[in-house]
Amino acid sequence: MNHVFWMSLGGRGANIGMIATLPDLHGFSGERGMDPVRNVVLVTIDALRQDMLATYGHRGGLSPFIDSIADSCVVFERTQATGPYTQASFPGILTSSHYFDHGRSTHLSQQRTLISEPLRKAGIVTAAFHSNPYLSEYFGWNREWDVFRDFMDVDVSDTVPFLKGDDINRHASDWLSSHVGKRGYKSFFLWVHYMDVHEPYVPRRNYLKMVHPSVELSEDEMFRLFKDVLLKRNVSDKQRVDLLRKLYEARVREVDDHVKQLFGMLEQLEVLQDCIVIMTSDHGDEFGEHGGLSHDGKMYQELLAVPLLIFDPERKRKEICSKLVSSIDISPTIISLLGLDPVKNFQGQPLLPAGDYEEEGCFGEAVEKLGHKTNERDKEVYYYMEGDLKIIYRGNTDAWEIYNLRDDPDESNNLIGATPESEQIARMRAVLKQRIGRWK
Amino acid sequence: MSRPTVSQERRSELEHKVQKSKEIIREAFGKFDAKQLAVAWTGGKDSTTMLWIIRQVCLEDGFTQPRAMFIEEGDTFPEIMDFVSEVSKKWNVDLDVCMNKDVHDAAGGVLGAKVLVSKLNERNQREIRERLKLDVESFPFEAESFIGNHLMKTVPMNIFIEKNSIKGIFQGLRWDEQPARKQDEYFEFKEKEDLQPPHTRIRPILHFMERDIWDTIFTFGIPHVCLYEQGYRSLGAKTTSVKLSNVPAWEQDLEHTSERAGRRQDKEKMMERMRKLGYM
Repeated sequence: MNHVFWMSLGGRGANIGMIATLPDLHGFSGERGMDPVRNVVLVTIDALRQDMLATYGHRGGLSPFIDSIADSCVVFERTQATGPYTQASFPGILTSSHYFDHGRSTHLSQQRTLISEPLRKAGIVTAAFHSNPYLSEYFGWNREWDVFRDFMDVDVSDTVPFLKGDDINRHASDWLSSHVGKRGYKSFFLWVHYMDVHEPYVPRRNYLKMVHPSVELSEDEMFRLFKDVLLKRNVSDKQRVDLLRKLYEARVREVDDHVKQLFGMLEQLEVLQDCIVIMTSDHGDEFGEHGGLSHDGKMYQELLAVPLLIFDPERKRKEICSKLVSSIDISPTIISLLGLDPVKNFQGQPLLPAGDYEEEGCFGEAVEKLGHKTNERDKEVYYYMEGDLKIIYRGNTDAWEIYNLRDDPDESNNLIGATPESEQIARMRAVLKQRIGRWK
Repeated sequence: MSRPTVSQERRSELEHKVQKSKEIIREAFGKFDAKQLAVAWTGGKDSTTMLWIIRQVCLEDGFTQPRAMFIEEGDTFPEIMDFVSEVSKKWNVDLDVCMNKDVHDAAGGVLGAKVLVSKLNERNQREIRERLKLDVESFPFEAESFIGNHLMKTVPMNIFIEKNSIKGIFQGLRWDEQPARKQDEYFEFKEKEDLQPPHTRIRPILHFMERDIWDTIFTFGIPHVCLYEQGYRSLGAKTTSVKLSNVPAWEQDLEHTSERAGRRQDKEKMMERMRKLGYM
């Protein structure tokens, strides 16, 4: 393998990259090599199902911008969230640990290491912009960030009970433009979280027209659907469930524009070339696949399969990684990209270079709450996935489920008891058993 | 117990901030008569510091000290009541303790008790129906719920302002308390609305950060309520203020942890958000 050293002069910094030339007439694969990147941006989109993006098979054109940059991305086809809803999933994303590692608690345990902490120690500036109450200052998520805006103090409407992507972008842009305004600005880690796909599904009219022109509902009617169908988890009327899905899809189309706007902003500030952008979601949403709606304490793929794309401005060809990875690997990846020492408390591993990633099997856990009210008496639900096999334990009913996702991607055929347990299944069951109630 | 000591440079910085506050206060005395001014005093570290600075200006310039308005929301720490009583005597402060007695009595003075809207006086009923636009028959008596906060804090304040023909009221708000505050101005005029008298809100300590308040308290010997020693960072109603530490407030990591993390009122906001997002 020949190595070529080159200097790329662009924008505000010089990158020295090492390119391995492949026996490829068209030149190189465009990999950066593992030299540290200057800045990292993390974009998390709440409740975005993996199968909404063209890169993951959707044919409805819901994500033209993300599709357009896919060639500059490493796409992780099999990414598992660590939980089916925000509270259970985000400890995975930002602390590389599992939801019940320190017991069942709502506040961010001091024993966890939040991504902002090692970055602060390394002198990297950190900024967070979101509007999800579960990730607010109140629960301790603001720890160590240089800038942390959760916008809990802002008034919101019933139909859009969060800050829209364009507002999030505006705030992020205000901060970033003042940060990079000086020459030789400090490396930064920017995290933006978009709530635009999250229920209640009341999309802006123009987006609904773009993706489902036949749907003509007033805002009131859309909100009524949220109250009467979604909140009640009422899947009896297939048409109405389908309508919900269409509204959701219009929202996906909308958030794609916000991602586009963010990239435009990074480009305009001339920092995009010095950024790696990680895009993912915390969980999906159900549309009746397992008799429910929204995102309850259930461990099925419509909730756990999340998109994960890592954008590298120097990449010229999409790389698809089919290894089974977890969002628990995201924070270690950020650390590694910025050239920092691994963090002891992080349980995951760096995702890049994808070729070096060692599949380990994924875990997830949550409170098995069903329906939109939480009940303290609810027990926990867990999953463990290895290769194509997924095992689930439901505490409320003391029930086990096993699915072969290759043969049965819909997870409708529970293999428990159906066939004699293979060695692998027996082993997986034993592994998951160890995690049940482990903090007690 | 360790009390922070400050360097000469820091002392000078604090004196500068106090000076800036005094300018705002003097401007207020220029606009309004002392009798038309009042101080919203909670007994907390911010409003007490502000009260002290106002007192300094009055002593220096010969103004009459404006009266202090203390809102009794029905859930006040006894330590705060005692502190306010003591300090008002020491500083010769004309203290008005205001309470929405009607609501308090309708609940039998019991926190959490159900209050029937129909049993309240006309003013309170109008506040609920017209100001809050709520169509409820009853609500639990809590100082820091959405309804509670309005009836037990905002309404007594408006009544106090009306009754005493107050034109300007001093409030101990700071910019760094929470992001919503960043837009606050030193002088904010509140237009007349139904059930709200027109008045100006004056915030002389906006530019103080949490750390500045503590350093000022110890540098100039300003009294503070003992609850802060016990670990409370921020004080509101007794049942809804949580102390997240046993270490005195000024010894906690003020710069990197949230001042209001233990305040139930913020929990209310969040729960409202969660409700709207379909979670409750």
